[in-house]
Amino acid sequence: MPEITYLEAIRQGIWEELDRDSNVVMLGEDIGGYGGAFRVSSGMIDHFGTGRIIETPICESGFTGAAIGLSFMGYRPIVEMQFIDFISCAFSMITNFAAKLRYRWGASVPIVVRGPSGAGVRGGPFHSQSVEMFFAHTPGLKIVVPATAADAKGLIKASIRDPDPVIYLEHKYLYRRIKENVPPGDWTVPIGKAAVRRTGRDLSVITYGAMVHVALEAAGLLEKEDISMEVLDLRTLLPLDRESILATVRHTNKVFVLHEDTRTCGIAGEIAAIINEEAFEDLDGPVLRVTAPDTPVPYSPPLEEFFLPKVSDVVAVARKLVAY
Amino acid sequence: METKVIMPQLGESIAEGTVTKWFKKPGDKVGRDEPLFEVSTDKVDSEIPSPAAGIVTRILVEEGKTVAINTAVAVIETEPAAVAAPVAPSPTAAPVAPAAHPAPAITTEVDKKPAAEVRSSPLVRRIAREKSVDLSSVTGTGAGGRVTKKDILGAIEKPAAVPQTVPPLPSLRPAQPAVVVAGALGAERRETMSTMRRAIADHMVMSKRVSPHVTTVFEVDLTAVNRSREAAKESFKNREGFPLTYMPFIAMATVRALKKHPVVNSSVDGTDVVYKEYVNLGIAVALEGGGLIVPVIKNADERNFLGLARAVRQLADAARTKKLTPADVQGGTFTITNPGVFGSLFGTPIINQPQTAILGIGVIEKRAVVIEDMIAIRPMVYLSLSFDHRVIDGALADPFMADIKKALENWEDQ
Amino acid sequence: MTNERLLEIYRFLLLNRLFDERLQKLYRQGKVVGGLYASTGQEAISVGSALTLQPGDFIGPMIRNVGSLLVRGVDPKDVIRQYMARATSPTGGRDGNLHFGDITKGIIGPISMLGSQIPVLAGVALGMKLRGRPNVALVYTGDGGMSMGDFHEGMNFAAVMKAPLVVILENNGYAYSTPTTRQMTVSSLADRAPAYGLERITIDGNDVLQVYDTVGAAVAKARAGGGPSMIECMTFRMRGHAEHDDMAYVPKEELEQWRAKDPILRFECVLVERAVADAAECDRIKESIRHQLEADFDSVDTEPFPDGSSCLGGVYA
Repeated sequence: MPEITYLEAIRQGIWEELDRDSNVVMLGEDIGGYGGAFRVSSGMIDHFGTGRIIETPICESGFTGAAIGLSFMGYRPIVEMQFIDFISCAFSMITNFAAKLRYRWGASVPIVVRGPSGAGVRGGPFHSQSVEMFFAHTPGLKIVVPATAADAKGLIKASIRDPDPVIYLEHKYLYRRIKENVPPGDWTVPIGKAAVRRTGRDLSVITYGAMVHVALEAAGLLEKEDISMEVLDLRTLLPLDRESILATVRHTNKVFVLHEDTRTCGIAGEIAAIINEEAFEDLDGPVLRVTAPDTPVPYSPPLEEFFLPKVSDVVAVARKLVAY
Repeated sequence: METKVIMPQLGESIAEGTVTKWFKKPGDKVGRDEPLFEVSTDKVDSEIPSPAAGIVTRILVEEGKTVAINTAVAVIETEPAAVAAPVAPSPTAAPVAPAAHPAPAITTEVDKKPAAEVRSSPLVRRIAREKSVDLSSVTGTGAGGRVTKKDILGAIEKPAAVPQTVPPLPSLRPAQPAVVVAGALGAERRETMSTMRRAIADHMVMSKRVSPHVTTVFEVDLTAVNRSREAAKESFKNREGFPLTYMPFIAMATVRALKKHPVVNSSVDGTDVVYKEYVNLGIAVALEGGGLIVPVIKNADERNFLGLARAVRQLADAARTKKLTPADVQGGTFTITNPGVFGSLFGTPIINQPQTAILGIGVIEKRAVVIEDMIAIRPMVYLSLSFDHRVIDGALADPFMADIKKALENWEDQ
Repeated sequence: MTNERLLEIYRFLLLNRLFDERLQKLYRQGKVVGGLYASTGQEAISVGSALTLQPGDFIGPMIRNVGSLLVRGVDPKDVIRQYMARATSPTGGRDGNLHFGDITKGIIGPISMLGSQIPVLAGVALGMKLRGRPNVALVYTGDGGMSMGDFHEGMNFAAVMKAPLVVILENNGYAYSTPTTRQMTVSSLADRAPAYGLERITIDGNDVLQVYDTVGAAVAKARAGGGPSMIECMTFRMRGHAEHDDMAYVPKEELEQWRAKDPILRFECVLVERAVADAAECDRIKESIRHQLEADFDSVDTEPFPDGSSCLGGVYA
């Protein structure tokens, strides 16, 4: 089994699902002959044709609405946002139309809205955002955030098969930076299940997306100081895997949350609240947060580096929490 | 059958309506959907059709009156022949929902009595509750002295922890029988400390942590005291029934010096120094089988020599026969301890908190001393004073000691 | 057109009108929960357009297209249940009025955000085309909805995809209280059609036969793979935006002018002219529908409200 990139894992997952189920279609801008801005759909239109790979005008709300309509006709559409930042243009279509259909009159909307998310590539304020919390407050949606190539493939396949609307946030920083063996065959990863990426004894960091790699690097450094840090990769933000969150709290008793998203009303706040409600008496210290500051994502390298949580930030907070 | 006519909600944001006109009066017949009354809201004026056919029996809201939506405004007695349209349940009368929002699962009781001023964590408090550990007895190594998970787990693994508060009359009985076990280097006997031992241990540690101790030692010639004691010894014994010891002399000299140097008779409270106008003199008594207790002579400064001598004797007896009351061991302002009875030359005693100093008496023995370039044999004693350097400097402590020395060496002058 | 078809049209027009009237009374009796959005005066558009559809076709109604739903086989009691917020309603009380759908009947209920229906029904139409089915999607919007971005995105998408979508533009004079002249500067909604490469079509929306014929032609074109159409139907909203609205902003003369063009009165003239029915027959049909509707409303009125806790669940599969 050769190593493949995170990007290739997504492409393979979509390809396999297009192959497996003729109801799977993809809509988006420049996804035809060009293969998509990041080449996720490279080669697909030649193989599957224009009836499956539907290149659209620039209209995020329009083609997201059309994907909802296609799902009424029995399709399982994948909607590509060229950059996930543009998903805001389809906000009402996702939160008002797609998310509420099952609740209102029982209609299933098996769409996947996916696109490159996150910072670290000098994209500036409109090509670097973390949009998860725009949607995490909307019942009816699911949000997945793969951090590894295996998860990228397993989760895209699970998302396509899911009967509810799923927002699949792929981190563009990871696209070609990580490479790994992906389990062979029809590999899926269940939505709503977190994964312990590294076990630890003294404290836990709960994180997701690109920050999983930052957390793992920090854990390696902390080990040299005899600090053993557990790393929990959430993988799904909605619904949250409360059991795994509480399990790591009960295991190490000291927890902090790390995310690239900005601080106020980031998922860390929700996780802290869950721990407070359900595992208060398992805490041997406060639930801390390591996050980006409350600003848009800036462009210039020194600014963006300042903005993003770093390994040194994680190490510093871990030391502080261990000493607490 | 009666049908209630209600004030309709004429618009989503409308909460009330005003009846502007009744088209029917009580006793009138009304047809279904026949205009019955007129309503005015801040959005619209509307004619309201009757919900049922029948006789208007009562008008409940007069013209000009404003009532909340869904309020009954009239009653219609429907004709028996009329289609029996059951009255719709009003939306407001919809079945009461069970709690839709589950309360957060709080499964634990709140600690009724939080451990005294000990910083810890929710986890540590839970473990303390479950394992019956007094948190105040666990030494915290976390930030700001916080008791961490490691600390309490360590304390549970090791022998039981020590309570901070000193029980007035602790039992000497060990909490558990001694156990002889094979240690790494041979047989060892492990036994849990008695309650008193734990109290003492904790108090000593606390005192050493709280007060920077400095000890100063003075040598005192007891020739004058001895002369006075020898002279009174016989008659004293006959009169009081117990021997006259050196203690009342030293106590007397100490009390007087304390009156002259109030800082030595003080205590520290936060950033305040509390000077005591009274002298409650504690005298440490070693107990048989180990342990130590400090009965207190209340208002020692108001007693004469004989009164002091009697009090010393009385409290020492009570201590040894375990007849002290809690009041007898509380409220001391200064303490005298006497390691000399065991032969110690002098001690460096630990301050009995929250006092600021303690006087130790060494062994009284004849020594060769030089007096005016001649060697003389004199009954001598070393008096040591451990004092709290936070509030007492050497320049304050030594004059206090010098005064005691002077009083004792010139006893006849008193 | 056969006499039976003409009478069918008449019965649906009346059902639409009398249904609204019955609801207006119930609203004043406090039995309608929330707002009531009447279609009085616009019945010919809903009925005339929906009658052109065949099984397998889809519609995306607006809030006032109850006539379209009734034509497409929705039980009037289900709409009553929606308005009365009963447990038995298609949404179990979770949503009201025409905010429900039924995929098996080809009905995609609207949401309150105007314009959203256009992209969604464009997607439905694209799906029909991709599946090679000879079906069409019919969607309604109006002078207000056209001001929204989703209208443009959906219309443009459908045009680019050559999707079998027929868009009915109901120009009823007012979007809530805002007249069409304050929604746009073009003189007709149809003026926008060329922007999507479409023909400019404006018809008399109060002439049910003209609606039926014109929409029928557009539906046939779409069914044959000719792509989308948009049709402006001139009409007038004879009641307020919702029942709480007394329409003080509408000039009396304008209202009177349109009252004279009432689509049902006009169609009754056609029936009499063509000797399909006389006045007495019309009254008889009216009474029978009224009677049936009263029975329906009385029956729904006995049905329970939902249990509060049924608010939970059903968010996900």
